[in-house]
Amino acid sequence: MNKAVTIIVQLIGLYFLYWVGTAIQKVLHLFIPGSVIGLVLLFALLSLKLVSEQWVQKGAGFMITHLPFFFIPATVGIISYAYIFKGKGILLIGIGMFSTALVMGLSGAVAQKMTRRMERFYE
Amino acid sequence: MNDFIIGLTVIVSTILIYWGSVTFYKKCRHIYTAPIILSTVVTIVVLLIFQIPYETYMIGGQWIDHLLGPAVVGLAYPLYQYRDMLKKMLLPVVTGTFIGAVVGITSGLFLSKWAGFSELIINSIVPKSVTTPVAMAIADTSGGAMPLAAVFVMIAGIGGVLIHPFVWRYFRLNHYIGRGVGMGSASHAIGTATSMERDDLEGSISTIAMVLSAVFVSIIAPGLTVLLL
Repeated sequence: MNKAVTIIVQLIGLYFLYWVGTAIQKVLHLFIPGSVIGLVLLFALLSLKLVSEQWVQKGAGFMITHLPFFFIPATVGIISYAYIFKGKGILLIGIGMFSTALVMGLSGAVAQKMTRRMERFYE
Repeated sequence: MNDFIIGLTVIVSTILIYWGSVTFYKKCRHIYTAPIILSTVVTIVVLLIFQIPYETYMIGGQWIDHLLGPAVVGLAYPLYQYRDMLKKMLLPVVTGTFIGAVVGITSGLFLSKWAGFSELIINSIVPKSVTTPVAMAIADTSGGAMPLAAVFVMIAGIGGVLIHPFVWRYFRLNHYIGRGVGMGSASHAIGTATSMERDDLEGSISTIAMVLSAVFVSIIAPGLTVLLL
């Protein structure tokens, strides 16, 4: 029971940061989602030691472990968009896969090349 | 009062379906039985059998939706946990992930524009390489459809896991940094989970890449879309 209370209190804290992030987005008319601003904010607070790791550990850990649960309603929404994948729409699956392969290959290749160069430099 | 009962029923059933999917996945580990896929399919089948409209389902579903924002904020925690590794490998990981973000946005945009799809679809496919809640938020602010964005995220996640052995061979990715950056940049949480099962180091790099990618894509997607569309 104690653990549940801790998680709920920490979730309220995360919700508060999300709310602050959304407020910043609205005030500054940013295109970055409020949730991502909240993420950067929390990372800054943790790095500056203004927020202790223990204050978010259980709540954030709980949310990340059960992340799939929170987007079930969103993915179920495909029910309203199934028609898009009919006929020519089937192409979209191919486009998605091909673009994914490009992202994976190029981002990985660049990171790997730079790492190798750094490793050689330090040796 | 009626709405309250419908909402509560939806939330309780979603928890049960999710719990059932997780239990099943523990026994039968396969990418096609990942909890998010199983839960979604089961929920859709239930809605179709009982002829429940999506709007009715969302009376309860919106409450779960509300928690997506705080869940994204929580991703700061693993990023902070791996900060030492991030510091050491900052340049390759940041550069690789940034290139992945640009490649993902531009290739998705140009290919779907070429094929003649509508702006609603293009704006939904653009953020596909980042984790679902962030992709949905980006699609929402740029004129895409949130559920559609979630579907493209699933295509990038599951597709990436299915094709990664070929991509690794073709691009000669054999270092855990290259592999981790590739998996996290292209296939977000689904790719990260796959990396984590194989190797802790590769999994941590993938976690970092996934979070960085979410930040990069949400910063550059709106501008690039306006510029290129």
